[in-house]
Amino acid sequence: MTISRRTMMAAGLAAPFASLPLLSRPASAQRAAGILRYGLSAFPPNLQPWVSTGASAGTVKMLIHRSLVSYGPKGELRGELATSWALDGDGAWVFKLRPGCVFHNGDPVTAEDVKWSIEQIAGEKSTAYMRSQFQSVERIEIPDPGTIRLVTKTPQATLPSWFGNYNTFIVSRKSTPTEWIGAGPFRLVGQERGSSVEIAAFDKFYKPGIPKLKGIKFVVYADENLRFAALQSGDVDMIEYVPWQSMAAVEADPRLKLDSQEGPFMDVLFNGTKPPFNDPRVRRAVAHAVRREDIVKVAFFGRGKPLEGLPIAEGTPWWDKDLAHGWNYDPARAKALLTEAGFGNGFQTTLLATAQFGMHKDTAEIVQQHLAAIGIQCELQLPDWSTRVARGSKGQYDMAIHGVSSDNNDPDGLTVVLDTTLSPSHGRSFRVDAPRTIAALARGRAEFDQAKRVEIYKEMQRAALEEVPLVGLAWRSQGYGMDKGVMGFTNLPGALSNSSGNMLEETYFG
Amino acid sequence: MSATWLARKLTVVAGLAWLVATIVFLALHMVPGDPAELLLSTGGVSPDPASVAELREKLGLERPLFAQYAAFIGGLLRGDLGTSLIDDYPVISEIALRLPRTLELIAAGSVIAILIGVPAGVFAALDRGGAFDRAASAVTALLLAVPVFVLGTLLVLLFAQTLRIMPAGGFVPFAQDPVQHLKLLILPAIAIAKGLAAVLFRMTRAAMLDALANDYVRTARAKGLSPTRVIIVHVLRNALNPVVTVLGLQMGTLLGGTVLVEYVFNWPGMSTPLLRAVEGRDYPMVVGIVLTISVLFLLLNLVVELVHAWLDPRVAHS
Repeated sequence: MTISRRTMMAAGLAAPFASLPLLSRPASAQRAAGILRYGLSAFPPNLQPWVSTGASAGTVKMLIHRSLVSYGPKGELRGELATSWALDGDGAWVFKLRPGCVFHNGDPVTAEDVKWSIEQIAGEKSTAYMRSQFQSVERIEIPDPGTIRLVTKTPQATLPSWFGNYNTFIVSRKSTPTEWIGAGPFRLVGQERGSSVEIAAFDKFYKPGIPKLKGIKFVVYADENLRFAALQSGDVDMIEYVPWQSMAAVEADPRLKLDSQEGPFMDVLFNGTKPPFNDPRVRRAVAHAVRREDIVKVAFFGRGKPLEGLPIAEGTPWWDKDLAHGWNYDPARAKALLTEAGFGNGFQTTLLATAQFGMHKDTAEIVQQHLAAIGIQCELQLPDWSTRVARGSKGQYDMAIHGVSSDNNDPDGLTVVLDTTLSPSHGRSFRVDAPRTIAALARGRAEFDQAKRVEIYKEMQRAALEEVPLVGLAWRSQGYGMDKGVMGFTNLPGALSNSSGNMLEETYFG
Repeated sequence: MSATWLARKLTVVAGLAWLVATIVFLALHMVPGDPAELLLSTGGVSPDPASVAELREKLGLERPLFAQYAAFIGGLLRGDLGTSLIDDYPVISEIALRLPRTLELIAAGSVIAILIGVPAGVFAALDRGGAFDRAASAVTALLLAVPVFVLGTLLVLLFAQTLRIMPAGGFVPFAQDPVQHLKLLILPAIAIAKGLAAVLFRMTRAAMLDALANDYVRTARAKGLSPTRVIIVHVLRNALNPVVTVLGLQMGTLLGGTVLVEYVFNWPGMSTPLLRAVEGRDYPMVVGIVLTISVLFLLLNLVVELVHAWLDPRVAHS
């Protein structure tokens, strides 16, 4: 058989078409096998159970580890390794352990493991995220093998929620710094450094029928636009942190759906060690000068909500309509407050943010414009994030823009941003005087009666509106995008949105 | 060219590498930002100062700068680049894992660029002033003008999001899934090839036009050689010398230039750990990666000089 030149040319022309099946999307074998492909925003630096390494790492950690409690779909605390918890007559917290729980190595979860884990978190050499909280535990007692009793130095009404944080896991005492043995619904089966993490269902998990997936493959897409492209092209079944500019496209795509919550928020921080921001009237003037709708529209593409008070979520018992709008947009009032404080002609100052994150920069630019309208001329300072953190912690700024989410939906979770007597940090105002706000936070933490706590936290909000330890600007939407065939996942409400990874144990393909 | 010449060149490379390492080390320590605080500040929430102090001690950041520098240089002389402050992973292992991926991307991009740029340059020179020459020159100008991240985003938009015939980005090891590996390589390689193909086209075209004007070409034609033989043997061979030089230098530039492409296509080469290390003030990782890129760049220049001398003995003699 001879091959003519014409045959060769025809074959050459046909080659691109013949290779199309290779280029076109393969049938999703992984999906058929019950493997969810999840677009993660960052590769976990490590999977240590107690060190904070970000919400993306937290998502993976929540699935391979377990704590005494976790959060359910409505944000309620639910039992995990513990079935119940209550205060005893002496004011100590008592947790009853769930029988039959085992670690991934097959060992049973015991009260000794719980005690050991808490001791590691609170240890002197610990770098655990919840270290300072657990250092308020004076004694850990094991009255019987199924019970653990925590005696605290001072009353701690929110102690059970500490175990809901995704940096507070119970691991086996046999764990080593390189191999942590958890009791979660999935176990780690592999990782491609910097690219992907694979977990597989743990067949001895204590909840019947959970997890519903056979496994999850986390693929890292650091760039938010590529993460969205991967979802739209079908490379992954689900992504976290849908970029705000892409949320409308996800909603418009008949194959996809969006689950979003308003949890994190943007705020203004102050340096309270020098004029003019050591005067609460000037800080209040700033609070009344900014039209929040502009921030929501420009920085978050309309995916958020104005925040004219403290970040207390609507629908919670602590929310109050009047208090929630205590810093309403009122430039005339802002000018009057400036005049009262002796700055009727305005002043020059600086506003620190970062150019590394668009939402910080955009928010800063809008705040700058609104402050200029009442006579406060701000010079924008936009270093990289690392420099922003360093300058924030050292108080090297006048005003700063920040974005954060509290640990949970209880107002006590705001302590970390409101209590300016805590050590200096980039995430709260620098030595701003707010004694009434801080005293109310302490009272709320020590009060166990729910009705009284509600009143205390409303009082705390009233105090904060006058003392202004920070200025709330906007709630920002946090969304998960997914294929419509992905079922059973819930984006947890408010500040708990970052803990939603826990819901992947109930996720399945419909 | 002699052993002395080579030894002198290698000494210069070593000296420059030390200079780069020292400048990067000192510059990083001078800019604000505490790796321990950053590491524990993920999520925008403040870490416990005691935890930060504990971590600083553990990472050796409490030592005087000179002691840190001495330890770094000592390690460097032993071939030890230290470990990452972020996750304690050996820097040398990170580079060993990532560098082949970056080099693979550059190699794939270069092959595409050579296959397009050189033939197009030859045809454009032969068609001087013609339709192909004008069209190719216009496309080249466009390719040079479009930033690589814009082209990358457009490729993703077209082939992944709209046509859905290519993956948006990512990486799968070749041993695990060769077909998927190659599919993931194609778009970033095209993005890499864009600028290089345009440069090679221009260089080849200009070199060909120069060579075509030489007397030996007229002589070859007068001897009755076929046009194809004249072009390939007599013109192209002489025209390729400057093209090879430019190709070598451009490949060095690509070592740094792949950062954007790797980021846009989520290709886990050297750029991801470099960006993460700069953001997190991970001193050993930044110095290690920058040093590696610099040494490769210097060695590549050395290789270009050697190849140039081999192709053109006049260079060797000079």
